[in-house]
Amino acid sequence: MEGIGHVPQMQLWGQPGEALGTVNYVTLIMTWVVMGIIVAASVLIVRRLKEVPGRVQIVVELFARMFDGLVKEALDRDDRAYLPLIGTLFLFLILSNWIGVIPGLEEPTRDINTPLSLGVMGFFIWHLSGVRAKGLWGYLKGFFQPIFFMMPLNVVGEVAKVISISFRLFGNIMGGAIIIIVVSNLLFYVVVPILLKGFFGIFVGSVQAFVFTMLYLTYTSVAVRSD
Amino acid sequence: METYWAEAIKYLAAGICMGFGAIGAGIGEGYTAGQTVLGISRQPSVSGQLIKTMLIGQAITETSGIFALVIAVLLISPGVGAGDNIVVSMAAFLGAGISVGIAGFGVGIGGGFPAARACEGIARCPSAAGQVNVTMLIGQAAASTPVVFGLVVAFILLYTHFSGSWEKAAALLGAGISVGFGGFGSGIGGGLPGGTACAATARRMDLRSQIIGTMLIGQAVTQTSAIFALVVSFLLMFTTGDGSSIVKIAGFLGAGISMGFGAIGPGLGTGIPAASACTCIRINERTGSVTTRVMLLGQAVAQSTAIYSLIIALLMIFVV
Repeated sequence: MEGIGHVPQMQLWGQPGEALGTVNYVTLIMTWVVMGIIVAASVLIVRRLKEVPGRVQIVVELFARMFDGLVKEALDRDDRAYLPLIGTLFLFLILSNWIGVIPGLEEPTRDINTPLSLGVMGFFIWHLSGVRAKGLWGYLKGFFQPIFFMMPLNVVGEVAKVISISFRLFGNIMGGAIIIIVVSNLLFYVVVPILLKGFFGIFVGSVQAFVFTMLYLTYTSVAVRSD
Repeated sequence: METYWAEAIKYLAAGICMGFGAIGAGIGEGYTAGQTVLGISRQPSVSGQLIKTMLIGQAITETSGIFALVIAVLLISPGVGAGDNIVVSMAAFLGAGISVGIAGFGVGIGGGFPAARACEGIARCPSAAGQVNVTMLIGQAAASTPVVFGLVVAFILLYTHFSGSWEKAAALLGAGISVGFGGFGSGIGGGLPGGTACAATARRMDLRSQIIGTMLIGQAVTQTSAIFALVVSFLLMFTTGDGSSIVKIAGFLGAGISMGFGAIGPGLGTGIPAASACTCIRINERTGSVTTRVMLLGQAVAQSTAIYSLIIALLMIFVV
């Protein structure tokens, strides 16, 4: 059980200490695997769209309609500008969290770099959409709400959003993975790990992917809506 | 320092871990059972369904107690050995016990709310049983995040060979205090919206997805203070501390105490608007989006004290 929470790293172009940088290669490979699965599945499904939907198409349509409804309700707009972002984010996260169920594969979200980069991406999306929706002046005025001296607190709060959204996902996935490793070791890999993988991998993974996506959407709606 | 000091501290830590970890789960499960008994008096015909929901809810509530048990057993088993420096190992053992014990205390109480209100709700509207059970399970799973954080920190403390001296020992103890107490408030606070969401689902099955969405966002914000505590304890665990300067020692311990205790109030307090928001949606579903935004605004302001604690903790880790 040594090395819990350790992420495999590789030095790029050079010896340790003087290398250009380090790569968390397992995370990188798994991220590309997840992206590959999503792209391949999308291409295959979209190519076979029919007037009378088959089984797979019904599931995909249900998913798209559900997220379309969620995004429309949250943003109170009729266009679908944010639907691809939110939908893809959820697909990526849920597949990333589920992929750890397969022995030998690791969740990309177990590495803090994945959730944190999604959080930083969100930071720019929220603020730039805020500027676009309200104009620069309206956007800056938002920092002085409800009273002007709340400004420093609002600025810190914006940074805290990125930390909290990314560490929530990371902590849950990493926690589940550690619990599975330790309990499996204690019980000599008898039956229980399967149940644990079902609970932490599938169930908690789905809930946390949904929470991350919903927070992304909610923060976007807070930035975009003016009322 | 002799080696048996490390052994002695292991037993102390196991006692703290299991002792505090048992309180919360006991309270939460008892509350669930109480509401089930009341529910059966209201609807004797669905007593079978009520007992089933009660047992599922209690089993999930007990997760925090089980986590405490796992850490306590690991602490008293010979598998976990002391490292090169006895003081550092002692602090790591104590920190592991505190982190899961106190976080489990809060999460145990919090997990009781969804289970109890689910039983109450099913007694009020037996046909909603299936949907209420789903809401309860999701609510409890999301509410148990703080104890999972505690467990992560405890395992890292137990299975990493830390090197250093008194400063490192103070940092490790501070890490345990931070994530343990930090999870206490969020544990209870995360349970509150879960409870009202179950009650709301029982009365308005048709609004189920909206209620679950609001509950999850509310719970997620509730856990922000526990996440700050997790960040501080990660920083404390992976900071270097080779010296034994009394200023540094006090700084690291103070950082843990500042973040840990500072997170209790915001964690618990932000649960209250989240709980009200779920009820609000049941009363008038058209207020959904404005409710969510007012909830987020109120929670953000209520959370400012946790942010102050975070800033003070960071200053004490990096500047002092």
